[in-house]
Amino acid sequence: MSNEVNAPRPAKPPSANKDKVIVRGLNFYYGENHALKEVTLSLFEGQVTAFIGPSGCGKSTLLRVLNRMYDLYPGQRAEGEVLLDGENILSKGLDLNLLRSRVGMVFQKPTPFPMTIYDNIAFGVRLYEKLPKSEMDGRVESSLKRTALWNEVKDKLNASGLSLSGGQQQRLCIARTVAISPEVILFDEPTSALDPISTAKIEELLDELSGEYTIAIVTHNMQQAARVSHYTAFMYLGEMVEFNETNTVFTSPRDKRTQDYVTGRFG
Amino acid sequence: MTATAIQTPSGTHASAMDRARALGRLKFSDSGFRLMTMASALIVLILLLGVAIALFFGAWPAFHEFGINFFFSDAWSPPKEQFGAATAIYGTLVTSLIAMLIAVPVGLGIAVFLTELCWLPLRRPIGIAIELLAGIPSIIYGIWGVYYFRPVMQSYIQPFLINTLGNLPGIGFLFAGPPFGYGVLTAGLVLALMILPFITAVSRDVFDTVPTVLKEAAYGVGATTFEVVGNIVIPYTRVGVIGGVMLALGRALGETMAVTFVIGNATKIQTSILAQGTTISAMIANQFADADPGLFTSSLLALGFILFVITFLVLAVARWMLSRLELKA
Repeated sequence: MSNEVNAPRPAKPPSANKDKVIVRGLNFYYGENHALKEVTLSLFEGQVTAFIGPSGCGKSTLLRVLNRMYDLYPGQRAEGEVLLDGENILSKGLDLNLLRSRVGMVFQKPTPFPMTIYDNIAFGVRLYEKLPKSEMDGRVESSLKRTALWNEVKDKLNASGLSLSGGQQQRLCIARTVAISPEVILFDEPTSALDPISTAKIEELLDELSGEYTIAIVTHNMQQAARVSHYTAFMYLGEMVEFNETNTVFTSPRDKRTQDYVTGRFG
Repeated sequence: MTATAIQTPSGTHASAMDRARALGRLKFSDSGFRLMTMASALIVLILLLGVAIALFFGAWPAFHEFGINFFFSDAWSPPKEQFGAATAIYGTLVTSLIAMLIAVPVGLGIAVFLTELCWLPLRRPIGIAIELLAGIPSIIYGIWGVYYFRPVMQSYIQPFLINTLGNLPGIGFLFAGPPFGYGVLTAGLVLALMILPFITAVSRDVFDTVPTVLKEAAYGVGATTFEVVGNIVIPYTRVGVIGGVMLALGRALGETMAVTFVIGNATKIQTSILAQGTTISAMIANQFADADPGLFTSSLLALGFILFVITFLVLAVARWMLSRLELKA
């Protein structure tokens, strides 16, 4: 992995972009703590959007709003509007399990379930679909192929998911997410616990998955944001400072704070 | 800063000697410490072996006199000097089985509720209440069992069981007979209450060790709380949970006081679990004071030896199961 910033990839022309997720006037509270302030942005269908910013700026919080993961914890609440295909996912009566089948999530640390590699993938699928064995086999195989893991694990599908290396575990988690065919995939610093080679593989994977899935990725690594994303959102102290095509954010940011951050002056 | 920079060679030398002397002292005290800890550990082994040997030799006359029949005979007649362990073994196993059947699901349920679902401010009070339950001396359970629980069993629960389950073909015989209040089922239920806190406390603690992010990942693919608990939390913690269950089973097998109070102390095997019975430890507690030296005492010691072996087997089986699980995981 080189240290210089690779040329940011060109985004598709904005006219081709369809809003998949629209966040409008979002405020988020951890108890008394106001963590997100009037955040507004869009995730465009089939595009990769990176959330960058210094620690504690609210980028992971924003990600956890998008699949309502915060709901597990009393005292955390969101106000405002988050529209997924026009439907407000913050509304009370929403079926959370269904939402999470549409909005998948990959975490900072690999989180294989304590079961076999096969079952790690079949587990999520079984929650929604009752497939005969042969179809399930096919689904497991295609998900593993999709994440370039098939050749490494095809002979040990019955081994524990925990027996894989860190990078393989993370790809297994991505395969597990892909297997339930979500529309949006959220990545919360997916490579921060991995070595450079595994990181490169995950980034390649992100590239392949974009187009088919709408992707949001939180990252501390600005080179990574530049490499993998079409759009970049810079957040600072709970505010959305700048949201634009990655190219623009990195080469000609409008805000002074964005410029300072992307040139490495703070953060 | 400068003082350290221009330290004299002799100063360095002196401090090195100090250091060597200190190390020498440590070396001695270290080996002493190792000896002390090793001796402490060995004492356990020696005591265990001593207990097993003493019990076996005490029991030998009974084993020698009755042979293998000692295990299968339900005779227990001190005047005729006829003794058999079957009634006590049967009672011990059945009361423990009843206790486990009730306490394991309920205990796991409480633990799941406390770790996954409970409203935060209620978590500590309920947890502390359960720990207090574990601290109540068994004699208190015994007194409570006789004065409060037994009448309830006699007036309500046992008649209800006799009139409902007692009429079912196939399993009706288990719930036959007059409602005494005392009996195997009563003892099993009191035992269930006594071991419940062990199962709950241990499983709550191991459930808390499941990484939050692992649970979030499962919720993240859309699993419900029930699915997360069944597929992630329990498999992840199964070694610890089984450990807690076995600890509880060990306690149920050996529990003496509370059982002696409520089981009725009859020395015949009866098929109905409402009937009175006895357990190994209840039998020993009841009769040891009156036992004549000789075959009677030896038979009681033999019962003790059998309990020792049963407990040992339970632990061994648990270990074996755990090692198999670890291989699979």
